[in-house]
Amino acid sequence: MPHPLDGPLVVVVAQSQGRLAPVTLELISCARALADVMGGDIHLVALGQNAQALAGEAADLSGGTATALVVPGLDRFHGEAYRRILAPLLGRWRARAVLAAHSSRGLDWLPGLAVRLGAACVTGVEGVRQVEGRLVLTRAAIFGKALEDIAPLGLPLAITVQPGAFPVAQAGETPPPPVRVVTVEHPACGARLLESPPGPVHDQALGQAQVVVAAGRGIGKPENLELLRRLAACFSGATLAGSRPVCDMGWLGYQSQVGLTGATVTPKLYLACGISGARQHTMGMAGAGFIVAINTDPQAAIFNLADVAVIEDLTRFIPAFLDCCHMGDS
Amino acid sequence: MSDAAEKKSTPRLAICLKQVRSSETPLQLREGRAIWSGNDLFNMSNADEFALEEALCLKDAEPGVEVTAISLGPMRTQDVLRRALGMGADRAVHLLSGDEPPPRPGQVAAALAALAGPLAFDLILTGVMSEDAMHGLVGPMLAEMLDLPCATAVVALDLDLDARLVRVEREMEGGRRQALELPLPALLTIQSSRRAPRYPTLSNLLRAKKAVLPCMDVADLGMPPAREQTLALRLPVRQRAGLLLEGSTLEKAVRLHAILTEKALL
Repeated sequence: MPHPLDGPLVVVVAQSQGRLAPVTLELISCARALADVMGGDIHLVALGQNAQALAGEAADLSGGTATALVVPGLDRFHGEAYRRILAPLLGRWRARAVLAAHSSRGLDWLPGLAVRLGAACVTGVEGVRQVEGRLVLTRAAIFGKALEDIAPLGLPLAITVQPGAFPVAQAGETPPPPVRVVTVEHPACGARLLESPPGPVHDQALGQAQVVVAAGRGIGKPENLELLRRLAACFSGATLAGSRPVCDMGWLGYQSQVGLTGATVTPKLYLACGISGARQHTMGMAGAGFIVAINTDPQAAIFNLADVAVIEDLTRFIPAFLDCCHMGDS
Repeated sequence: MSDAAEKKSTPRLAICLKQVRSSETPLQLREGRAIWSGNDLFNMSNADEFALEEALCLKDAEPGVEVTAISLGPMRTQDVLRRALGMGADRAVHLLSGDEPPPRPGQVAAALAALAGPLAFDLILTGVMSEDAMHGLVGPMLAEMLDLPCATAVVALDLDLDARLVRVEREMEGGRRQALELPLPALLTIQSSRRAPRYPTLSNLLRAKKAVLPCMDVADLGMPPAREQTLALRLPVRQRAGLLLEGSTLEKAVRLHAILTEKALL
């Protein structure tokens, strides 16, 4: 290799609605774990019209070194612009690694960038460790039923980091160095942003519900939602919700969807009925106080997250549970 | 007829499909590797099925559109190509690869690029991510390799062949939408949606069953070396108690009722 990659580990500041997305601080923790194995300094980079404020906030929260790439006109997310701006910059910096959030945005711009950089690329990273001197990354595999340990076979490394998998980075004693501000011209892009349509309105009750009864594809048919409704009726303050496939099938409206592309809920009790537990779903409910999972597949990933595991056909189990509730009433 | 006019008369769509094991296939791990039984059930990956449906809807709207289904995998992967033909794809191409270890996403994208590049498709569709591995890499990597504009997680699209444009809505975090306009040729990764994939027709299936599918060995396409290596698969550590209820259905129900009552959740 003519130029060994001895540059920084670059954390690209994650944004949501023009503000710093909290997952950014988890990316920094992941970068610190990577740096422990592969060396290198951590460098935060924010892109966009308001990059200076974002970079400053990320630096203050983590105590890290940051660069603001101020791009006049880049006032919304544009994956192609990200790739076109970052590829030459990371090349010049001889960056060892680039980290993005495992989100709709991160998954939009990072894979193409990895191709441009000739990087080893792993998405949904949940763990970083060193095994016999070698960097090993962990991600979910096989429908989330297994974890996969992966070794990159060279540098640079381009990864997306699973939200919730790494701790929130804390600032150290010393204040961060001042943010470096660089103005970058908006690159010419093939894709053109249009005016964004309004997003879905999430069910207000979902965010506030004390108990969420959630339906997955495993409920089999929409008629079985009635069973779940009766189950929900046993609890006070309970709301029905669903995984993406259930909403795609029209069994429930998208306003009831829990997960990466739906609502995030933190009820006291989450009853997962026929939900396999793919990361896209569990990202929206992993913070629930108590999780009960009902599924016929004993290997369903949801059981790894459950406080109580019920391996049963819900069309048999829920009626039995309802009988218990009604016995208590009489 | 000029090249440009001909291109307009037969717009070509490619749809990249992955065959995956049924999600309920029991998983056995031995020495860090998955052991499969050999009589497992396989499906078309969920999001790919939605992507294929989008392609077929475009064909329904513009009868001149030609849909080519492409899938990379071992011989059994031809089943998803036959299903695609059954659903209405015009042709299918199989890229034959080994199964263990499965090729990395970057290798799959490179093989697809080697095939698709010279065929000059107007639009390439893939699923947003595979159902089993969930990398979300093949589509956007393929776009970059072919130097095509790309939109991921697309939930709505409007193809304007006259203007050589496609307008899309992609899904962002929390279900928010972003609207984009891309010049053709372009690549879109399709997110699942309300538009349920159609069933194959019997006549198409019978024809597909007999068809000899063009098959190319990825070795002949010059698949690049892997940039990542799977060292081992292992079972996840339980993040919570994961108390497994035992006994009859009723006994489990009684137990759960007692637990929830004790925790004042009921």
